Amino acid sequence: MKTWKIADIGQFFKNSFTAVLKGEFLLRLNIGRYFIHIAYTFLLFGLIIWISLMIETTMSKVEKNKAVLKELEIVHSQKVFEVVNISRRSSVEKLLEEMGSKVTEAEKPATTVKR
Amino acid sequence: MSTEATHTPKKRDRIGVILYLLYVALLIASVILIVRLTGIQLFFQPDPKIEAALTPSNTVSIIEPARGNILDAEGRLLAISCPIYQFYMDCTVLKETNNAQQEQAWLDKARELSAGLAAEFPEKSADQFYKLIKDSRAAGKKYVRIGRPVDRNAYNRIIELPLFRDGRYRSGMIVEQEQIRQYPYGKLARRTIGFVRNNKSTVTNTHIGLEGKFDYILHGQEGREWMRVTDYGRVRNTDSAFVKAVDGKDLRITLNIDYQDIADKALREQIVEEPDLEGATLVLMEVKTGAIRAMVNLVREDGTGPFEEIQNLAIGRKGEPGSVFKTVTLMSVLNDGFIKSLDETLPATTGHVAGTSINDDHIPSYAWQHKTNRISILDGFKISSNYVFATLAVQNYGIDKSKGRGKGLEKTERFLQNIYNYKLGEAFAFDLDGLQTPTIPSPSTRYWTDTDLGSIGFGYSTEETPLHILTFYNAIANKGRMMKPYLVEDIEEKGIVTERRGPGVLNAAVCSKAVADTITRALKAVTEEGTAKRLKGAKCAVAGKTGTSFGTYANGQYQDAQGRRKYQGTFVGFFPADAPQYSIICTVYSKPTGKQFQGGGIPARAIRTVVDQLYNIDPAFREQLKRNPAQAQ
Repeated sequence: MKTWKIADIGQFFKNSFTAVLKGEFLLRLNIGRYFIHIAYTFLLFGLIIWISLMIETTMSKVEKNKAVLKELEIVHSQKVFEVVNISRRSSVEKLLEEMGSKVTEAEKPATTVKR
Repeated sequence: MSTEATHTPKKRDRIGVILYLLYVALLIASVILIVRLTGIQLFFQPDPKIEAALTPSNTVSIIEPARGNILDAEGRLLAISCPIYQFYMDCTVLKETNNAQQEQAWLDKARELSAGLAAEFPEKSADQFYKLIKDSRAAGKKYVRIGRPVDRNAYNRIIELPLFRDGRYRSGMIVEQEQIRQYPYGKLARRTIGFVRNNKSTVTNTHIGLEGKFDYILHGQEGREWMRVTDYGRVRNTDSAFVKAVDGKDLRITLNIDYQDIADKALREQIVEEPDLEGATLVLMEVKTGAIRAMVNLVREDGTGPFEEIQNLAIGRKGEPGSVFKTVTLMSVLNDGFIKSLDETLPATTGHVAGTSINDDHIPSYAWQHKTNRISILDGFKISSNYVFATLAVQNYGIDKSKGRGKGLEKTERFLQNIYNYKLGEAFAFDLDGLQTPTIPSPSTRYWTDTDLGSIGFGYSTEETPLHILTFYNAIANKGRMMKPYLVEDIEEKGIVTERRGPGVLNAAVCSKAVADTITRALKAVTEEGTAKRLKGAKCAVAGKTGTSFGTYANGQYQDAQGRRKYQGTFVGFFPADAPQYSIICTVYSKPTGKQFQGGGIPARAIRTVVDQLYNIDPAFREQLKRNPAQAQ
């Protein structure tokens, strides 16, 4: 039985280096057995990069849409403010008067029909 | 077989050699690459500036919550958050790179811009704006304020002005946006609605009114997100934590903005032409619930300016209530059984209240006019006699001096305890901060004098806020059940009620129904034949009481050297007298004046206007027609 020696390490590196120079390193390791796994891993890497880019694109769209929504909210709140602003009772009364309308404040309580 | 014959010279494989050399080159490159990578990763220290420029920024961004709205009882918006925009200008833009011709073109556009700005901000002329821009450009100013904050509509117009429409890199336009609170109904109920400096502010001493007190509900909670810069712009970093902002909840309050408008207008009409008045308040409360439907507080700005909502007088100013407090004495003697009927009489001769220094000059003239030497309690109430109510207090609750100094206070303390039971001695929980604690003197202190009890009987020597007085009268209208005044109906989130607040009871029975009816009879007499005759003939019968008191000067007197007085005139009551729906109080406060501001004057007139207008529009007063079942078929 072959016993292990320190010199074997030096031999291992020497063989490896020679194999690398000859371009046989991977062949000696018989890496071809795992070729499909390596190819699959690279495919996954590619997929991850592609999905990340897709996410980034989507997120940028989200940000743009958020800005649009914010703008719409601002416009909405401004319009609500303006509408409410002119609905004040005394403002309406004044407006009607200015417009020459005959509509004025009620002079007696409304009459309702009981069901 | 010769060896030479079999030995063939080794043929050089050119393609193999090329491939091998290529392989060796790639091998060397990869070795260099690995060594370089290792070196960069482990030992290389880049220039910090370059590192900062090349590292994608990943910054935390605070997400501001939307502040909740305040809605009135009918769901109308009273406070809403809207953005405002402030324009600034970097006047140095393109200054260094422009040639003379381009610079002139830029300045020409700035002149056109100035004309547009002058149209938006009329307080400055086009020439002034142009000078501002030109001088700032010459001085190299990069942050020049243009005009004042504007709303969205003005913002849209301004960004389309010449030069500004070229964009910020060519015009130097800078716009800062800020969310501010807008009040669509302007100054109506502004002190009650209140304000908070801004939604981000944590300074609490600027938290006024409902906005301030309920800031913890309206504010919401800030969110947090990490943003990173990509080729597509600034996007949220999905790998980092994201905390969603929680928007503030809405507050539905009891004020009816129509009623507030009516009350505000009615009060302003009465006081605006009175330079001697320094303030006035009017509060309208729903009898059954204690919901405050209108709360007007008008105070002269800087003492002499126009009336504005700058101080909540209804809860924050206490003073001697005057004759409106006689009703408290009346309820006390009725509750304790000291009098059985309003028709019971007291002697009406000199008007002096025995055992005190109180003298009522009106009694001798009353006796002479009516040719009598007796005055009924009802008549005393109608003419608001101090003598009658001081006598009632002193006779029934006087100190028993026969028991010695500091003793025999039981009856007096009972009277004062009654006042506390009527919640006129404490600052009860209220939806606004700042409700003053009334002042009620105590006979066990050395400041108590023989006159104090009689004074309390007709509304002096005590201090009450208008809200306390109104709460008491509301209890009479509600047949003895004292409701807690409140302003916040419920808390809502996207239209769904998350917390219902609503009515509360302060004292389930301050008096019996019979006592409440008796007092109502007396209060009706005041408006029909007494000191508040201005309310006679209102669209619905009003029951109430006037009260006038004088503020004291530093020397303890009720008038100054020129004989001028500081008036506090009040009318408080409820309507319709027979089936009360609303209770109402109006108090006016004068500066030192020679004029008179009685409770039966301005307050009664303002209340008359409110009653007449409310009667026409309030659903409670609508007439109902019943269908004839036969016709219906």
